[in-house]
Amino acid sequence: MATTNIAGQRRQELIAGYSFVAPALIILLVFLFIPMFFTLWMSFRDWSGITPPAESGAVGLQWYERLLVLDNVRRTDFFTAFKNTFYYALGVVPTQTVLALLLAVIANQQLLRFKGFFRTTFYFPSITSSVAIGLIFLWIYQSGGILNQVIKAVNPAYRNISWMNDPTGIIHNTLAVFGLTLRTAPAWLTETNVLGLTLWQWLSGPSVTMTALMMLVIWTTAGTMMLVFLAALQDIPRPLYEAASVDGATSVQQFFSITVPMLRPTIFFVVTLGLIGTFQVFDQMFVMTSGGPAGTTTSLAYLIYRAGFNDSQMGLASAISVLLFLIIFTATLIQRRIFSDRAVA
Amino acid sequence: MKKQILYATAALLVAILAVTACGGGTTPTAAPPPTTATQPTTAPEATTAPATTAPQATTAPSGSATKLQLLGWSSSDAENNLLNTIVDQFNKSQTQYTASFDPSPNYDQALQTALAGGAPPDVFYVDSLKFPDLMKNNVLATPPANAIQDPDDFYPSLKAAFTANGTFYCPPKDFSTLALIYNKKMLDAAGVKPPTTWDELKAAAEKLTDSSKGVYGLALSADAARWVAFLYQAGGTVLDANGKMNIDTPEAKVALDYYTGLLAAGYAVTPDKVDSGWNGEAFGKEKVAMVVEGNWMVPFLKSDFPNVEYDIAELPAGPKGKATMAFTVCYGVPKNGAHLDGSWQFVNALTNKQGMKEWTDLGLAMPTRKSLRDGWVQKFPNLKVFLDGADYSHPWQFGPGFTVVTDAINKGIQEIAAGQATSESVLKTVQKAGEDVLAQ
Repeated sequence: MATTNIAGQRRQELIAGYSFVAPALIILLVFLFIPMFFTLWMSFRDWSGITPPAESGAVGLQWYERLLVLDNVRRTDFFTAFKNTFYYALGVVPTQTVLALLLAVIANQQLLRFKGFFRTTFYFPSITSSVAIGLIFLWIYQSGGILNQVIKAVNPAYRNISWMNDPTGIIHNTLAVFGLTLRTAPAWLTETNVLGLTLWQWLSGPSVTMTALMMLVIWTTAGTMMLVFLAALQDIPRPLYEAASVDGATSVQQFFSITVPMLRPTIFFVVTLGLIGTFQVFDQMFVMTSGGPAGTTTSLAYLIYRAGFNDSQMGLASAISVLLFLIIFTATLIQRRIFSDRAVA
Repeated sequence: MKKQILYATAALLVAILAVTACGGGTTPTAAPPPTTATQPTTAPEATTAPATTAPQATTAPSGSATKLQLLGWSSSDAENNLLNTIVDQFNKSQTQYTASFDPSPNYDQALQTALAGGAPPDVFYVDSLKFPDLMKNNVLATPPANAIQDPDDFYPSLKAAFTANGTFYCPPKDFSTLALIYNKKMLDAAGVKPPTTWDELKAAAEKLTDSSKGVYGLALSADAARWVAFLYQAGGTVLDANGKMNIDTPEAKVALDYYTGLLAAGYAVTPDKVDSGWNGEAFGKEKVAMVVEGNWMVPFLKSDFPNVEYDIAELPAGPKGKATMAFTVCYGVPKNGAHLDGSWQFVNALTNKQGMKEWTDLGLAMPTRKSLRDGWVQKFPNLKVFLDGADYSHPWQFGPGFTVVTDAINKGIQEIAAGQATSESVLKTVQKAGEDVLAQ
């Protein structure tokens, strides 16, 4: 008697539980899982995106072969976009994390006046539309724009950089200072072809235009990350700092020996979010550069868009999406390994 | 019906995934081509006339009439209003159908999703560059006999652009060609005559350039849709007679070296160097004396830079004579459209001699029918050069999937201009890209 009662109660709880999560589950299913598997399926088909998907033919691994193995324009485009995105992430993630941490520490100071003002100011770029910001930065970055004018006022010898239309890589430009250019570089650099790009091209670094986009993105996202750090900072128990000051630790020592270790899970979270966000970057390229100049700001996500809607190759676009997922997944795994190793040590 | 809904949902889901996977935040509108007829440049629309998304209200639909949707893009209110006038006339001329013009800021996406979803618009713009892609996917309806009035009246090159396997699929609504537009005052001040050959163009550009004042001879964007005209002038081609990629030729090298040479010498600038979004803006601001642009410049200058005194000349002839590009758009009807009969009636009303005369007499676009030529030239004598271009123009059309190739050309020109590539390596890359796309 008692057991059946418990079983009945269990069942009721089960039904109640599932009906509570049902709305979220259905939304996830319709807007996340079905499209995910649809994309995976499409990456094995030659769907143009113009005719109904069921009319497309199966092409097996052809798209992946073109993207990764065969020497052809798709592979060159894919690895160019990969290179662009990689340099972008490499520049943005560490910078925005460090900047966000600094801003959070500043905004968390006990003695700081107008704390609310600073917090709002730091956070403001994050809640502004990325399109609006993009358009305003287009003005700032014009060759006669504010940025160039300010630099010129400080340094009259400065020659205007056309920020939005300079495809030269910043590593290339640095090498050029030491006399190493495309014409003087050794043949093994300019002739060796790795995955559709020469070693010289791989070494370019982000283009000047991409760097301009990176600065903009760091400025906008640091605020969001700051908020995360700020919440975590307030969770660090005060007595730790008090004990440290009694022992004579300077505030710099306190920062590196208390604050940073206590924030390790938060740093992991912020870096992971940053990695995912940077690998999926799209808005700025779409609004500001259309992937140019010379394709140097074509990110993987923007390449997916171009392949799907300008080139009418949804199958190809799907295959790139799947590869992008694998890239992000791998990057996150590697980064997790790094952080957990440190935690053990 | 159920199947259609399924397809529509599936297409929508892919679209959502494609866009949302690309980071948060809403995405804005893509820059629509800023002109009536096609203008395949990357000119951001912000710099030209502001794009409008709100279609003007056409006549109120009468109770029983079947609705027809015309999907296209738009560059200005003026253009929308003019087209709506023509659409209204069609609606008044009969009672069976009520058509409305629906300009979409994301035309490519809108058309693609609608087609894939099995619920296409009744009539839609088809750009000549995209026509081969649509044919490859077999989505256009074959016009029934007599659906297109007097098809031989269209210029042969424009008709050919929308003909596949011997069938003329859709009548071109209007077209644009490239010409040399020059600033009268600046040329007079420098004592320069409008150039007629490449050598003269170079000499004129040199004379007109005064970099200390930030003024240059010519604005040349790194744009395949401009350079390909020079390619034809040099006797080169993109595809050979058999449809094979044939751009890695000595003629193409001459054209590429000439084009990028003007930039390298500093007689020509890309528009961003003079703080402009596209060639036309640089010209309007009088930062450059000449541009290679199409008839869309005329309404643009009239509305944005009414005080600039300009004139129009044929593009300078290259080593192998004259050539220009023709950009055109046709009214396509989808194979699985719901009201095929109405669609064809509507298309015919827009493109028959009377309809096209009314549309092109509004002054925004050029008639694609030979029979309207003389009347139009009389009405717009200053635009004669553009219309004459039809005789020696090449259509802006290559093969399916060629946006990848035009992208490669754009990229190559920019790389050469930045000293990061040579014309030989760029032509090799473009040749390879074209071969890859054609083999696919």
